Amino acid sequence: VDWGGWAVFGLVATTGLTAVMMAAQLAGRTRLDLPLMLGTMTTEDPDRARVAGFGIHLAIGQVFALFYAAAFAALDRSGWWLGAIFGLAHAAIALTVLVPLLQGVHPRMATERAGPDSTAVLEPPGLFALNYGTATPLVAVAAHVAYGAVLGVFLASS
Amino acid sequence: MAGRVPIGDYGMIGDTRSAALVAPDGSIDWWCVPRFDDPPLFGRMVGGDEAGWFTVGPGEEAAVTRRAYRPDTVTLATTWTVDGGELELADGLVAEVEGRFLPATVLVRRLTARGRAVRARLHLAPRFGYDRRPARRITRRAGALVCERGDLAIAVISDGPTVDADRTVDFDVQPGEPVTIVLTAAERRPLILVPPAVGAAELARDETGWRAWAADIDVTSRRDAVVRSLLTLQLLTFSPSGAPVAAPTTSLPELIGGARNWDYRYAWPRDASLGIAAFMAAGKPREARAFLAWLLHASRLSRPRLPVLFTLDGRPGPPEEELAGWPGYADSRPVRIGNGAAQQHQLDGYGWVVDAAWLLTDAGHRLYGETWRVVAAFADHVAATWTEPDAGIWEQRGKPTHHVHSKLMAWLALDRALRIAAARGDRRRRRQQRWIIARDAVAADVRARGFDPAQDAYTATYGSAELDAAVLVPVLEFEPANSARVVGTVDAIRRGLSAGGPLLYRYQPGTDGLAGAEGAFLPCSFWLVQALARTGGRAEAEALLDELLTLGGPLSLYGEEIDPATGAHVGNYPQALTHAALVQAALSLELATTRPGPEVTLPR
Repeated sequence: VDWGGWAVFGLVATTGLTAVMMAAQLAGRTRLDLPLMLGTMTTEDPDRARVAGFGIHLAIGQVFALFYAAAFAALDRSGWWLGAIFGLAHAAIALTVLVPLLQGVHPRMATERAGPDSTAVLEPPGLFALNYGTATPLVAVAAHVAYGAVLGVFLASS
Repeated sequence: MAGRVPIGDYGMIGDTRSAALVAPDGSIDWWCVPRFDDPPLFGRMVGGDEAGWFTVGPGEEAAVTRRAYRPDTVTLATTWTVDGGELELADGLVAEVEGRFLPATVLVRRLTARGRAVRARLHLAPRFGYDRRPARRITRRAGALVCERGDLAIAVISDGPTVDADRTVDFDVQPGEPVTIVLTAAERRPLILVPPAVGAAELARDETGWRAWAADIDVTSRRDAVVRSLLTLQLLTFSPSGAPVAAPTTSLPELIGGARNWDYRYAWPRDASLGIAAFMAAGKPREARAFLAWLLHASRLSRPRLPVLFTLDGRPGPPEEELAGWPGYADSRPVRIGNGAAQQHQLDGYGWVVDAAWLLTDAGHRLYGETWRVVAAFADHVAATWTEPDAGIWEQRGKPTHHVHSKLMAWLALDRALRIAAARGDRRRRRQQRWIIARDAVAADVRARGFDPAQDAYTATYGSAELDAAVLVPVLEFEPANSARVVGTVDAIRRGLSAGGPLLYRYQPGTDGLAGAEGAFLPCSFWLVQALARTGGRAEAEALLDELLTLGGPLSLYGEEIDPATGAHVGNYPQALTHAALVQAALSLELATTRPGPEVTLPR
């Protein structure tokens, strides 16, 4: 495993992924705001939540980068295209498993079963997070493919 | 049969995700499952018998003697008297299911006999989708009747009779041995079967929750009507997203036999803003803040433009279509789903939203930085676009025009944004200068082009002599309440738009470009109460409100309109806008004169 590459480029790739998502959100393509979504686990104030959420996302991105590094080492190959394929799978898992599961642990994300006592500030993401805008799956795929490609380029395979 | 029961005779039960309308004979004639905007499982209110229903009631000669909600809850109790006894039906949907092993949709119907054994009758006719099809697969599992079609499945369990689909079942209810029927539903999820005893216990638990919620409502006079309205507003709030649903129904006609039949199962920012005002006035800031949070989330993709309406998930409203073959309520066709108003430009929406943000600020709730940025962006948008014609609050489908109400609300948006900026100590002077210039320009324009000296009143549109009752709301903020222009406008609207008694038309009938007439628009009457209270006619306002409170029927529920000729409720029902206006009217009489906000003057 390329530990040095993982330490540096994990952060770079996650920052890039976050940048793509935020740019799409600010451009009005999606309401999915990953720093906000993660940060509201700690605070309700959107501005503070984004700061906290960015830190959480960097940490999560670093964990995922470890899997990428391990996979490149196991396959004894890397490259932007392999990273992009991993990114595609990563996006699919994020949209179909991770984001829906987040409802179960996120104290401020509502579920479809929420009642009047709910104090959630985030609505349920729905299938493929489509409740956050119809372009959300495309944006998520683009961001994760970019993440994977960056890691594929900069992480050595052995 | 569609239209067999007067609209105002229906009671509503709900779980804040869906709502069912229950007729006095115990028939659920409207219930979209599992969400407000899904097709009806029982829809005969507008879809005819082909659209299904679910009756639980007496099976012998009986008369309804009492229908009421259990105090401070949303459980509806209907009591029939029979010879030598009585039968009570308690209906409710379980709202709080999160964190518990319960399905999202649990309907509980519980029959209790008193005096003697009473013959009861049950008929379950579920239908699936807008094509009103019966279940594709009907099975029995673990004592439950399971009906499935597509991705929706329902299960019905009873501790009394064996329930079948599309078959009438007669059975006896013994005194002291209530019969409970539980219907659960699941869409794209496994069904969870709920035993009747558990269903009854969950409903009782929910009632405790509603009573606790209602206990801290800060109101003293006319409490029952205010609490019922706030409970209704809460039932019409889609809890998963916080979206306020305008009404749980589609295409209940604005006049029987007419064509003004619209789908209201969507969320309008205007309703959310009125809800904020109503909940704030009633001492419920959490609910008020939740509406603002929903507004900000839903409008994120379109900022700074504020769409007219959203789906429950905050998506753009779907295009309008007509349901072929649906007979409509009392032959009022077409029956529509979707809403064509979604594409309109309505300038007034910004005023409602920014005013709601000001209400929160004025009450000492500091807006989050992000919230303020959005509100300020709305004000910027108004400052840049207020000169354009729009469709107006009444969503008229003709050519856009210059509506006085819209201009007044544009003025309100700019004025309130300036007040919030002052309260926050916002230092962006150039931006505020732009707002001041625009605000003053709107004011000059409205005074010059939207006021008719002959009537001494603000008009509906520039250059016309027609009146618009919606003007009652912003004109009280635009001019001093005791000014000749406000008093003249209130008087002109009372005279010119009177529909008899306490009722008002929203605009002169026959001027909206659609064929046929419509009823008197109930929110306008409640706005008149507020206007009278503010312009010194307090005694008149009190009398008017008391008269209006008699129109809500035994359950104190209000639709959109009332037919002045018959006194019947018409339009989608119950209507959030009407209930929010009722709360504001009642509480405006309770409060002292509204404290004016800070005057904002900046050097040019």
